[in-house]
Amino acid sequence: MAAVIQHASPYLERFGARAAVSGTEPRWLSERRELALERFLRLGVPTSRDEEYKYTDLRRLSDGRLLLGPVSMGNAREPAHLSGQAVAARAGDGMALASEPRAGVSVRSISEALANDDGWLRAHLASIAGFEGHALCALNTALFEDGVVIRAQRGADCPEPIHLAFGAGNLARHARVLIVAERGSRVRVVETYASRGTYWRNAVTEIHAGENARVDHVRAQLESEDAFHTGVVQAEQRRDSRVTSFSLSFGALVARNDIGTRLGGTGCDCALDGLYAVRGRQLVDHHTGIDHAMPHCHSHQLYKGVLDGRARGVFNGKIFVRQDAQKTDAVQSNKNLLLSDSAEVNTKPQLEIDANDVKCTHGATVGQLDADAEFYLRSRGIGAREARHLLTYAFAADALDRVCVPSLRDHFEALLMARFTPGVG
Amino acid sequence: MLQVNSLRVSVDGKQILSGVDLDVQPGTVHAVMGPNGSGKSTLASVLAGREGYSIDAGSVTFKGQDLLEMAPEVRAREGLFLAFQYPVEVPGVTMMYFLREALNAIRRHRGLEEMAAGDFLRFARQKIGPLGIDPGMLKRAVNEGFSGGEKKRCEVFQMAMLEPSLAILDETDSGLDIDALKVVSKGVNGLRRADRGFVVITHYQRLLEYIVPDRVHVLADGRIVESGDRTLALDLERHGYGWIAEGPASLAAARL
Repeated sequence: MAAVIQHASPYLERFGARAAVSGTEPRWLSERRELALERFLRLGVPTSRDEEYKYTDLRRLSDGRLLLGPVSMGNAREPAHLSGQAVAARAGDGMALASEPRAGVSVRSISEALANDDGWLRAHLASIAGFEGHALCALNTALFEDGVVIRAQRGADCPEPIHLAFGAGNLARHARVLIVAERGSRVRVVETYASRGTYWRNAVTEIHAGENARVDHVRAQLESEDAFHTGVVQAEQRRDSRVTSFSLSFGALVARNDIGTRLGGTGCDCALDGLYAVRGRQLVDHHTGIDHAMPHCHSHQLYKGVLDGRARGVFNGKIFVRQDAQKTDAVQSNKNLLLSDSAEVNTKPQLEIDANDVKCTHGATVGQLDADAEFYLRSRGIGAREARHLLTYAFAADALDRVCVPSLRDHFEALLMARFTPGVG
Repeated sequence: MLQVNSLRVSVDGKQILSGVDLDVQPGTVHAVMGPNGSGKSTLASVLAGREGYSIDAGSVTFKGQDLLEMAPEVRAREGLFLAFQYPVEVPGVTMMYFLREALNAIRRHRGLEEMAAGDFLRFARQKIGPLGIDPGMLKRAVNEGFSGGEKKRCEVFQMAMLEPSLAILDETDSGLDIDALKVVSKGVNGLRRADRGFVVITHYQRLLEYIVPDRVHVLADGRIVESGDRTLALDLERHGYGWIAEGPASLAAARL
C-alpha cells in the first residue's frame, strides 16, 4: 500500500511522542502497541480496493493530517438529556475521572487503571478488538493516549447509564473504552461523540460480558458534518450473557462503524441495532459481525436508515455460524428510507453457516415514503410537511424503541425530527 | 355547497371523466351510482385532491371557493372529508396521534384552540362507542392489521371526529357484511345535519336502503347519464346497468 508508506512518518512521530509520554506503561501493552503500529503500517488506511471498504474509500485520510495534526476541533453542545443521570464522565482533554456510580462498579481512566493493575487489565485491554486484520483498530491501539475503563465486579448492578462524552481534543480523537462486566453484573454505557470542525476521530470500544452478565451499550455519533468518524465496537460474550448495542449515526461527513460480538458460550443473546440518518453529502457505513461460535445463542439485528439529499448509506451484516453452533437463532434486518431521488444505499447481508440445525433470517429493504399514506394523512388535514415528518418518524420508531434509556430515546427522536425538513411534495 | 361544472379529467392521456355536473346543497345526500370503470372513484379522488389526475376542463367550487386550487389538507380543513374505498395502513403512527394531529390542524385553520390530550380522548370515546369499535383501536397503528370492516367503520369514526361539512363516501359499503353495513349506515345517518352534505358513491343499491338519498345520479363512461330521486336506485337494482349502452330512453321504457 504505497499510499501509506509514503505517509508513515507522521504516524511514527505520533507513536514516538505518545510512547514518551506514557513511558511507564507495562511492557505487555507497549508490545501490543508496537505490534499494532506495525500492522497498521502494513495494512494502511483502507481504500475501496479493499472489499470491506468497497463503498467507503478513506484514501484521503491516509496522510493522517486530520487525525494527527494540530487539534482542529471545537466543543459541541453536550447532550443535555443525560446530565444528572449517573456519571457523566468527560473523556475530553483531561482524563480526570474516577468514580463509583454503584458499589462494585468503577469508572477510571486507563492510565489510572494501569497504575493500579494487578494483572487483570492485561486479559482484556487491546485483546478483545483484534487488530491483526483491522487497520483502524490497529491505529487506535498504537496511538490512544488514554481512555476509559469501566468495570462491574461480580454481581454488581448499575442500571443508571454511565455517560462518556467524547468531545474535542487530541485524546478524544483516539477514543478508547474498555467495558468489563464480570459474572452476573449489569452495566449500561452511553458514549457520545460530538465536536465541531474538520477532523478525523478513530475510536475503539471493547466489551467483555462475563457469564450471565448484561451490557447495554449505546453509541451516539453526532460529529460535525465536516468530520470523519471511524469506530470499532467489539464485544466478547461468555455463556448466558446478554449484550445490546445501539448505534446512532447522524453526524460526520464520512462515518464508518464496525460493530461486532463473539458469542463464545452457550445461551448468549445479543442485539445489535442502529439508526442512521444522513443528508447532504454524508456517507454512513455500518459493518456488523456476529460470530455464533457456540450452540443455543440468539442474535437480533435491526438497522434502519433515513437518507436525504445526496447521502449514501452502507450496511453490511455478517453472521458466522460455526460448526458447533447448533440451535442458533439469528435475525437480521436492514431497512432504508430514501427521502430524495439522489440518496443511495448499498445493503448486504453476509451469512456463513457451517452448522445444520439453525434458524437464520435476514432481510433488507430500500424504499421511499409511501405516497398513498402521505395523501391519506393530508386528506385528514395534516400538512404536507407534517405528513412527511410523521411518516419519517414512523419509519424510525421501532428502531428508536430499542434504545434502552427512555430519556435518550426521546432525545434521539427529537434529533431525528430536527434533522429533516422534508421538501413539500 | 359543492358545484361540479363540466368536469373533464384524464389519467395518462385517457379521459376518465368527460363532463360531470353535480350540485350538492347543504343538508342533502347525493348518491352516485354506476358500473365498474364509470369514473366514480376518480370523481372522489379528484374532489379530495389526490395527485396523478389531469383536470382538462370544468371547475369545482366548494363553499364558493375554487376547490381544485386547494392542497388536499386545505380541502380537509375547509370541511371536505373523503371516506376511502381502501383506507391506507400507516405503520408506526397510532390512530390517536393521527386523529389528534388532524383534528388540531383543522381547529387551528378554523381559529379554534387545539384540543388537549385529555379532552381529545373523552371526545374520541364519545364518538367511537356507537360505531361498535373497541376503544383500544386508538392505540393501534392507523388501519394496520384492521379487517376490511374495521377499516370502513374507522373511516366513519374519523368522519364523526372531524365533523366535515361535506362528506364523500367512496364505496364505503364494499366488503361489508350486512351487520357492519347497518352499523356504518347508522353512524352516517347520525351525522346528517342541515348544514352538512353527503356524496355517497356506491355500486349497489343496498347501502341506499339504509342511507336514504335525496338525489341519485348514474355515472357511466365518465358522465352523469341520469339523475332522479331514490326510486332511480331501485330501478337500477331491478334492471342493472345494461340499459346504459342503449341510452337512458331504454331505462325510461323499462320503468314504465
